[in-house]
Amino acid sequence: MPKKRLIFTLLYQEDAFYLSRNFRLQRVGDLEWLSKNYEFSAVANSIDELIILDVSRGERNIDAFCNTVAEISANCFIPLALGGGITTAAEADRLISSGADKLVLNTTLTRDPDFVTRLIDTYGSQCIIASIDYRIENGACTVYINQGQERMGFSLESYLCRLEQLKVGEIYLNCIDHDGTGTGYHLDSLEMLPRSFNMPLIIAGGAGNQKHLLQGLDCSQIDAAATANLFNFVGDGLPRSRAYLLENGVSMARW
Amino acid sequence: MTFRVAIIDYGAGNPRSVLHAISYLGAEAEIIGDPDRLKGFSHIVLPGVGSFHSSINLIRSRGLDEALFEQIKLEVPLLGICLGMQILADRGSEGGETKGMGLISGDVDRFGFDITTSNLKIPHVGFDTVKPRLSSKLFAGFGEEVDFYFTHSFRLRCASGQAVAADAWHGEPYVAAIEQGSVAGTQFHPEKSQRNGLRLMLNFLERF
Repeated sequence: MPKKRLIFTLLYQEDAFYLSRNFRLQRVGDLEWLSKNYEFSAVANSIDELIILDVSRGERNIDAFCNTVAEISANCFIPLALGGGITTAAEADRLISSGADKLVLNTTLTRDPDFVTRLIDTYGSQCIIASIDYRIENGACTVYINQGQERMGFSLESYLCRLEQLKVGEIYLNCIDHDGTGTGYHLDSLEMLPRSFNMPLIIAGGAGNQKHLLQGLDCSQIDAAATANLFNFVGDGLPRSRAYLLENGVSMARW
Repeated sequence: MTFRVAIIDYGAGNPRSVLHAISYLGAEAEIIGDPDRLKGFSHIVLPGVGSFHSSINLIRSRGLDEALFEQIKLEVPLLGICLGMQILADRGSEGGETKGMGLISGDVDRFGFDITTSNLKIPHVGFDTVKPRLSSKLFAGFGEEVDFYFTHSFRLRCASGQAVAADAWHGEPYVAAIEQGSVAGTQFHPEKSQRNGLRLMLNFLERF
């Protein structure tokens, strides 16, 4: 059985990196700042996968994004997933040729499922991560798209069934209410998983310390724990977290 | 000695991550798509993304298979990665029944275990454990179990264990790596497997 994974997600917008709290963005610094303060290539030694999302609220500049990705990932020998506003085959191809092993899709999953099917035909299911954002509303999980702004009229459970039929490779589940709060993952959502659910599941949104990562990875349904919290986990935070998870018996890759 | 490594580009997937890893190890690396330029290299890496059928067709239509056979005859070491290892086998069934390059005696088919009664998933994606065989050069210096990054739905099985360099299990046993003369291959992605992968690639450069 594949090992459980620790994933770091970098949020990018117009040449800088951001922290997100309930999907409101706060600028942290540019690439130079990131390399200088956080020695990102050292951090990458402690994670199993890196996700970089272009969360630009305005118009996206894919060239600038790909240039930044190239600089960050040059010495990262781990799988790389890229995403943010992908709507055309040309954009997908551009990200793949910039080194993406996987593409992260969100809004386009509901707006253009045929496009998603074509991407799966071209690159395979294992290449497609379906990112789902949801809010907790009266105890239920309601799906939102378009950077958490557009409420969809369906539940998390029915959406997951649709995505499984679409044959996406993995699910990246992010709770907007927990996002960036550092209070831990919203694990109640696991009870909303369809009975037959058998897709790799990445949990995101809310991890503030290593105990939260452990709580997530201890769940049998969860394959990977993601964090985008630059302040809490970069520096020696991720190496220490990985050691902590291994000490606590989580089945993780060793290198 | 200075290593000069050719990374074959046949228009599917992205050879750049392999290039990064080889360069990181201090070797010279070049992406080669033109069969006439596949000469004078110390090592060759054959990456692969896509299906068995489409990849072997792309390689043949570009005349890269002939060029590769010529280099193999000259005993230039070859490392196939993922699909690049699979297409070295006799045959595969991904994308339709297809003849492979026939360098390794074996069959490439979809994982055959019953997914409805298993908690294992297909595609098989993520870091997983392989068990190297003692005689392996690729795994020289590694322990009895090593973790590497996999992403695949089809797997190689060999009737004879002679060419097998490492075994693995995902619902059923399959071949994780092969070695036969100057030809080697890994089902996993060493260029995506942290230090373990870099070390294996260095073994390929230094011991083949």
